[in-house]
Amino acid sequence: MTEITSRRGLLFGAAAVSAGALLTGCTSNEPSESEDEPAGNDQPAADDKPGKQVTIGFAGPQADHGWLNAINDNAKSRAEKYSDVTLEITEGSNDTAQQIGQIETLINKKVDVLVVLPADGKALTQVGLKAMRAGIPVVNLDRIFNTPQAYRCWIGGDNYGMGLNAGHYIGEKLKGKSGARVIELAGLDNLELTKQRTQGFDDALKNYPNIKKVARQAAEFTVESGQAKMAQLLQAQSKFDALWNHDDDQGVGALRAIEQAGRDDFLMVGGAGALSAFQAIKQDDGVLKATVLYPPTMAASAIDLARALGQSKGIGGLAEFEIPSSLTLYSAVVDKTNVDRYMSTGFK
Amino acid sequence: MTQPVSPPRDSTAKVPEARPPAWRGLAARADVRTLSLLGVLAALIVVGGITKPDEFLDTRNLQLVLTQASVVGVVTVGMTFVIVSGGIDLSVGAIVALASVWATTVATQEYGFAGILFTAIVVGVGCGLVNGVLIAYGSMVPFIATLAMLASARGLALQITDGKTQIVTVPSVLDLGERDAYVLGVPPLVMVFAVVTVIGWLVLNRTTFGRRTVAVGGNPEAARLAGIDVRRQRLYLYLLSGLCCGIAAFLLIVLSGSGQNTNGNLYELDAIAAAIIGGTLLTGGRGTITGSVLGVLIFFTITNIFALNNLQSDVQQIAKGAIIVAAVLVQRRTASTT
Amino acid sequence: MAPEPPLLSMSGITKSFPGVRALDGVDLDVQAGEVHCLLGQNGAGKSTLIKVLAGAHQPDTGSIRWHGEEVTLRSPIAAMRLGIATIYQELDLVEHLSVAENVHLGHEPTAAGFIVRGKTASASTAALLKRLGHAEIDPARLVGDLSAAQQQIVSMARALSHDVRLIVMDEPSAALDPDEVDNLFRIVGDLTAAGVAVVYISHRLEEIRRIGDRVTVLKDGRAVAHGLPAKSTPTREVVALMTGRNVEYVFPDRPLSPPPGEPVLTVRGLSRQGEFEPLDLEVRPGEIVGLAGLVGSGRSEILETVYGARKPTAGQVLVDGRALRPGSVRAAVRAGLGLAPEERKAQALLMLESVTRNVSVSSMSRFSRGGWIDRGAELGAARAATRELSLRPDNPSVPVRTLSGGNQQKAVLARWLLRGCKVLLLDEPTRGVDVGARAELYAVIRRLADEGLAVLLVSSEVPEVLGLADRVLVLREGRVVHTAPARELDEHRVLDLVMEGSPA
Repeated sequence: MTEITSRRGLLFGAAAVSAGALLTGCTSNEPSESEDEPAGNDQPAADDKPGKQVTIGFAGPQADHGWLNAINDNAKSRAEKYSDVTLEITEGSNDTAQQIGQIETLINKKVDVLVVLPADGKALTQVGLKAMRAGIPVVNLDRIFNTPQAYRCWIGGDNYGMGLNAGHYIGEKLKGKSGARVIELAGLDNLELTKQRTQGFDDALKNYPNIKKVARQAAEFTVESGQAKMAQLLQAQSKFDALWNHDDDQGVGALRAIEQAGRDDFLMVGGAGALSAFQAIKQDDGVLKATVLYPPTMAASAIDLARALGQSKGIGGLAEFEIPSSLTLYSAVVDKTNVDRYMSTGFK
Repeated sequence: MTQPVSPPRDSTAKVPEARPPAWRGLAARADVRTLSLLGVLAALIVVGGITKPDEFLDTRNLQLVLTQASVVGVVTVGMTFVIVSGGIDLSVGAIVALASVWATTVATQEYGFAGILFTAIVVGVGCGLVNGVLIAYGSMVPFIATLAMLASARGLALQITDGKTQIVTVPSVLDLGERDAYVLGVPPLVMVFAVVTVIGWLVLNRTTFGRRTVAVGGNPEAARLAGIDVRRQRLYLYLLSGLCCGIAAFLLIVLSGSGQNTNGNLYELDAIAAAIIGGTLLTGGRGTITGSVLGVLIFFTITNIFALNNLQSDVQQIAKGAIIVAAVLVQRRTASTT
Repeated sequence: MAPEPPLLSMSGITKSFPGVRALDGVDLDVQAGEVHCLLGQNGAGKSTLIKVLAGAHQPDTGSIRWHGEEVTLRSPIAAMRLGIATIYQELDLVEHLSVAENVHLGHEPTAAGFIVRGKTASASTAALLKRLGHAEIDPARLVGDLSAAQQQIVSMARALSHDVRLIVMDEPSAALDPDEVDNLFRIVGDLTAAGVAVVYISHRLEEIRRIGDRVTVLKDGRAVAHGLPAKSTPTREVVALMTGRNVEYVFPDRPLSPPPGEPVLTVRGLSRQGEFEPLDLEVRPGEIVGLAGLVGSGRSEILETVYGARKPTAGQVLVDGRALRPGSVRAAVRAGLGLAPEERKAQALLMLESVTRNVSVSSMSRFSRGGWIDRGAELGAARAATRELSLRPDNPSVPVRTLSGGNQQKAVLARWLLRGCKVLLLDEPTRGVDVGARAELYAVIRRLADEGLAVLLVSSEVPEVLGLADRVLVLREGRVVHTAPARELDEHRVLDLVMEGSPA
């Protein structure tokens, strides 16, 4: 019996080795098409002429999500555009303690400016304060610190505005339709930004008395959860007119569920600005008609701001001598009419 | 099947003659456990039917619940074997993630349907092999070995995807998740789940492999002294769990039409919880596939009812926790009376 | 003179578990300073009774009086506060804590209410150990590193660390060799002289004769005799009370001449560093060879090494002249060896499973094709094997844990009978088996030998080895000091050999 099983084992081993050889080839993820540049808007925010050398420290969370990955790419490629910028980028981490340690290392290295996208804004406030006290200006990216004392400049997206603009877009599309029904596929419910997006959406819909939000389920920003929750929503609501999905990544799953249910009797608006969403909007052969931006290009802008701070310049095109203390980005609605302009900023 | 039982003649038999013999009580208790799970499921169906008669009591909804349950369901079958053998596999979710992203890379997708299926299963089995070798021959504690696998498989999955969503473009794979692929109203995913369940049940209850699994879990030293190769059995069990993860990864690819490193999030907890609710002892030696699968179905029915009634995820999570606690309390009560 | 109320008086205690009435109106009186022995077969209710006394179980009805006052023992702590301590058979020590920590577990000497004063604990533990005659146990050692006998002492030290008035000992001598038993009896004597009452549970009647004052006999959850004088009640009467019938404590006849034939089991120069020295032995079909020796003489280790469960330092085990792969249980089982280990529950039985599955576990390939089990054939074979051994109840579908000790042992024997093994290795085959069932088990073993099985038997009970075996090897400290046909030896001689190492 042993003999047989061990021979079987041997066969299995051989199969495993050959399978391994094949599999190793299969991890390759380079598409045959050429790698395209992530950062879209090439207009430099600050003076483009080379100035004083600036070392920028960049610390972000682990890039386990398309949008966060795009943040890193945007920062890196933007920094490479400037001959006078050196970027010190840390290994991304979702662990607060680890990220604090990484930022403290950057402080000790005496970088000129810090760009920080905290894993948790509140928890990293102290280390932001520490950098500011050490004379290192901090550009706080997206997830905001507890106190303005912890940053020189905050730049980030507008979650409330996302919901607001999505609501207004849907409201205009359904104008004149009485008894219109709308559903919402929210993101991870234990994040504050999800609540803000929902609040904005609800506030916008108040302007349209003909529209009623009939259902809301929260997914988890993942394809898998998007599919699962959307499938349930479709079963629960046999008829509705519009869907707002907070996030294009989970939207991949949501679209899959819609396809599986064979539904096409409503319009869908996405969120964030993924490349796949832009492509679908451009093709215009499905339910997805628009997406509301939460642009990862903000990381490129943050590098611009950091460079300008390091070189003591202001923003071109404004009368101010100084860089503003906060910049809230506009959550533009991308639909078929303007999608080409944004195509290059789409993330995977 | 059994002959009439002669009255206990042994002076130590303590059961009064009027009562049924102890073994029948035990069998009845096992049935009671399955019946109580069925009762819970029936109660849920009543709740669903009352609150949302049109949406809940609908063929499409049945198809939906079973389809959604099939991915975790397949993982749970493998997990049940591992737990019955006295082990634990914390890496199932991570293995599903790794297998699903490895099977959906641009390079793999060039090999089409077969390439994706093959890769998902080989990656699953390969991870199971590593777990099994570390545990059976490296004498590592299952908790630690599979925890390490959890971390590394998730890491590798992230490295492969670079955080990006890998969209499947192979039509034959995608078609399998569409309504057109249903056979007599049964989605292919549900068929796979059913087949895995039936095979799992047969293997655990009717084969020497199943007996060895129970023996190793019930009393590893006795199994060894009875001439069972305990280590090899352990290796096979983690291979089996890995295989189930590979199958589940393929189902998930079909279901979601993509591979993502966040796939399979917390499957380990769902699978362990379902097995425990189904009456599998965490210490090993006892467990049923029927119970585990009922546990999975209960979970997904609850999720479904909550979603149909538009209740939010916080409430869903609280209910899930409460059900786990209740099930374990019932189980302990049953155990203390035996 | 008005009679002093007894220290403890339990009356009309009943306790039911689902399907079982474990205690059915039991009375028990214990006087201060006496050794009160509790006798009864397995399942008679002894364990339940002492758990009620320890506060671990609550009785359904009945009353407990302590110094004549009615008390309720709501929890083990409540019992301990009154001064009732229990030393369970399966020791409840924490292996990863030190001796001192175990002794003071739950009532650590503390400063400021929470800081453990290790020095105080250690000193008081040392004093207790000295009082118990075991000053050599270091209070700082981990309990897991101690021998079974030493652990027993620690358990006793823990009981004595409280202000104890009554101490319950559940088979305290089971894990001890004669020296240790003497020491135990000395301790019991000291305790009773100080007015402490001892409730003593044992299977060994001779121990009860030596130290007991009075005996209460339990049978089927009832006390069938109260307060019998321990020294003068005839054995026959006690056995009759326990079993409800008169049982001769007899060994089966052995064949007149040694069985002919080549040895089926041959052991050549087998040794294990630090456990036993090179050993040679042969067992022929139909022969029972016994290994006699004290705890620590290497008996069990020899058996387990022959079986491949331990890897030998040197030497060979041959079955039918073919050498087995050393240290491989599977090789041994395939060659036809079977082991009935000392710790049946821990080492042999799948307690959650039925008798059938316990019996068939080593021969599954016989009822399976391609891994698929033919359950009808399995049940039939298990039934045949268990019937052959008159296992009770005659229903192999019952869970094995519901069986008595003797019948559990029969289930283990049935496993090897079914497998068709040639050599049976028996390690303490009657441990935990009550008196009534022993003779039957002896007869079964002899019958198996008569049918051609070779049996290698290990027992700490010398009369058992002498009564059952054809040939006896006497072991002392891992070395064979004497080999002789059993009929040429008597208990006295064997004890001399194991104590002195030379024939007196």
